[in-house]
Amino acid sequence: MSTLVQLDGIEVDHDGKRAVATTDLEFPEGSFTSLLGPTGCGKSTLLNTIAGFVTPSSGRVLMDGAPVTGPGPDRGMVFQHYALLPWFTARGNVEFALKRFGLPRAERRERALESLDAVGLADAAEKYPTQLSGGMRQRVALARALAAEPRVLLMDEPFGALDAITRARMQRLLTQLWQRTCTTVVFVTHDVAEALALSQRVVVMAADPGRVIADHRLADDPASDRTAPHPLHARIVAQLGTDS
Amino acid sequence: MLGEGLVPTPWQTLRAAYAMWADGTMTTDLQASLARAGQGFAAGASTGIALGFVTGHRPRVAALVGPVMSFLRPIPAIALVPLVTAWFGIGERAKHLVIAYAVFLAVWLYVHDGVARVPADHLRAARTLGVPAWRRLIEVLLPAAALSVVAALRYGASLAFLALVAAELGGAQSGIAYRLQIDGQFLRTDHMFVGLIELRLLGLLADALISAAGRRLVHWSSS
Repeated sequence: MSTLVQLDGIEVDHDGKRAVATTDLEFPEGSFTSLLGPTGCGKSTLLNTIAGFVTPSSGRVLMDGAPVTGPGPDRGMVFQHYALLPWFTARGNVEFALKRFGLPRAERRERALESLDAVGLADAAEKYPTQLSGGMRQRVALARALAAEPRVLLMDEPFGALDAITRARMQRLLTQLWQRTCTTVVFVTHDVAEALALSQRVVVMAADPGRVIADHRLADDPASDRTAPHPLHARIVAQLGTDS
Repeated sequence: MLGEGLVPTPWQTLRAAYAMWADGTMTTDLQASLARAGQGFAAGASTGIALGFVTGHRPRVAALVGPVMSFLRPIPAIALVPLVTAWFGIGERAKHLVIAYAVFLAVWLYVHDGVARVPADHLRAARTLGVPAWRRLIEVLLPAAALSVVAALRYGASLAFLALVAAELGGAQSGIAYRLQIDGQFLRTDHMFVGLIELRLLGLLADALISAAGRRLVHWSSS
């Protein structure tokens, strides 16, 4: 697998304080990586650096070899609090992402409905975000992000605000979508089990300053139907305990 | 205590209203006042909205403009009347300016605040979806700040009538407040009551129109 996203010796300072110490990471095309760590470990900062919202004080972010200078549709993002636009329906939110393709109106509508269908929301297309539950809102956000056809999907604790059952459903849905679309995913979480359940690789981070302390490569098969605790679970918890 | 006849009965007020309507002064005054309030409001509100969006969205511009606004805001529009009269005379332009000034400051503050509070994630999401700047303005910033704009316009409209009175008292040939002043000199309190009621009704009407338009435009927030 070729490298799609590369963090090349980046350091991030925030308010005169080092938020992320020198970090080198590569994300191969089609991979699913979790950035795991406690609050303040810089995992969201790293994600925002890839997204182009944060400019590193040194080093570069390379996307397919080209330096990232700002946000762009090749790097989609799913936010913890959904970031849906309340004045658009679910379909309107997806069409908001599709407009850049310049499709005829009927085709755009058709594709938006397909995207919503893919996340199990075909029936809620004409509902406004305020009429949807948290899980449904995040499904719309996922459909919207994928509709823009990003090469990498950046997810910032996307299921952190959901209850346990909805969360498990969303994890299953995400695994399915990832297998179907082959989109590269970088997933930020502080939940060890979630990272292990979803990813091929878990990058463990610690705080003060934010840095990578371990890089676990899991078996290549998607982990969707693991029931017993992952063998790495205890080890990662121990790493988080000693280093953060 | 008030002298005999200084507090008109409703019947006297109604008769005065009819007399003012019949001799045409009511129409003339309403036209003059509405034109002033309308033009001043339009100028002040449009510039206030435009600048509010710029400063609300660009903190660096806000850092430059904010202190100027904070300096101007405590100066009541009524205090500007003598100065504006000295500069522009007692023509219509001076009145528009006084009204626009009052409306502009209030509308700017509300719109600026509303735009500054637009959730950052809404704009970030739009940028990661490849939505260009002009679409972010129309499809994200404008609707996100729409409630603040409606509030700004409602408050601005009430200030427009306040400033209208100040401007007309400062020298005019027609208008509701001009008539109030003339009637005051003759102690025609029944006519003065008509003028006050006219101002009240115009204010109510403007507010009702703006809120109704706002409810239609900002349909998603009521659900």
